[in-house]
Amino acid sequence: MHRSSVFFRLATLLFCLCLGWWFWKGIEALEHTGTLTGPAVHYVARAAEETGASNLVSAILFDYRALDTLGEATVIYTAVCGIAMLFSRSKYRKSSTGLSFIVKRGLGFVIPFILLYAAGIVLMGHLTPGGGFQGGAVFATMTILFCIVYGSNFEAARINPKIKEFIESTGAVMFTLIGLVGLIAGAGFLANSAAGFPTGRVGSVLSGGTIPLLNIAVGMKVGAGLSTIFYSMVKLLEVKYEDAVEVDRP
Amino acid sequence: MTISFYAFLCGFLALTAVVAAEIEDILSAVISLSVFGILLAIAFAILQAPDVALTQAVINSGLVTSLFLVAYSQTEKQQFRRKDKK
Repeated sequence: MHRSSVFFRLATLLFCLCLGWWFWKGIEALEHTGTLTGPAVHYVARAAEETGASNLVSAILFDYRALDTLGEATVIYTAVCGIAMLFSRSKYRKSSTGLSFIVKRGLGFVIPFILLYAAGIVLMGHLTPGGGFQGGAVFATMTILFCIVYGSNFEAARINPKIKEFIESTGAVMFTLIGLVGLIAGAGFLANSAAGFPTGRVGSVLSGGTIPLLNIAVGMKVGAGLSTIFYSMVKLLEVKYEDAVEVDRP
Repeated sequence: MTISFYAFLCGFLALTAVVAAEIEDILSAVISLSVFGILLAIAFAILQAPDVALTQAVINSGLVTSLFLVAYSQTEKQQFRRKDKK
């Protein structure tokens, strides 16, 4: 028994070190630039003028491979529905009163900047690194901070869980409707410039055709979905009451 | 500069991964995993994948760590002896 435990520990150590060595080899890819093959050639050469987005990753995610993004969003939607259904019958417990007064005030000062950062990531998804998924995750992180610092009762009182579910469904419907517009125009599902959407000048805020709209839809979906997951898991936790060090009154 | 910094990053990544896998204390493992996520995000940014780096930073240090910490706060510490240790 003892020997096998040592063996597993050594195996874990070796595995971690091997993966680290592999990662170290990744720096060579930066020095030796290889030649592109397959569809990558077309993407790098033509994506900017075809879609109007200066962020090529965003152009591939929301234009060339938009159907895959829709499937990915559906996966998150299914996960959120399943988790919300699993925990819907469970009893709601009273939440804690949150952390101390200083932490609450400090978070109050930081929250607008986090909101601005998240909105910037979503709205500038076609220009700079980022996009709907990342910005939505920042939104969800903010609601998690609310849950931890102010207590989950406060979070549910300010942002109604029903409204969250509505926002998430609206994001999904918006994504599909934008895709259907392309279908109606006769260019195929989720078509961008081929369906007549103006692509604008590369690098300006109003560019990229459907890409900013799809970014907003995915951001709504992911932000509301992930915070719903966290809230529905946290709301039924049993809170161990400790002696309150300080009590703040509104 | 980049090579030596990258070497430090890879070594520290392996170290935090080993600590997260091997340590007995769960809280230390969670925090070590969070540090691992941040270092991985920096490494992705060096390897010129800023989109992946952003996702990695937000998901690993924000969502996963908070979920693990909430789960940790609900568990209770049990004193028991492992069978393989005498």
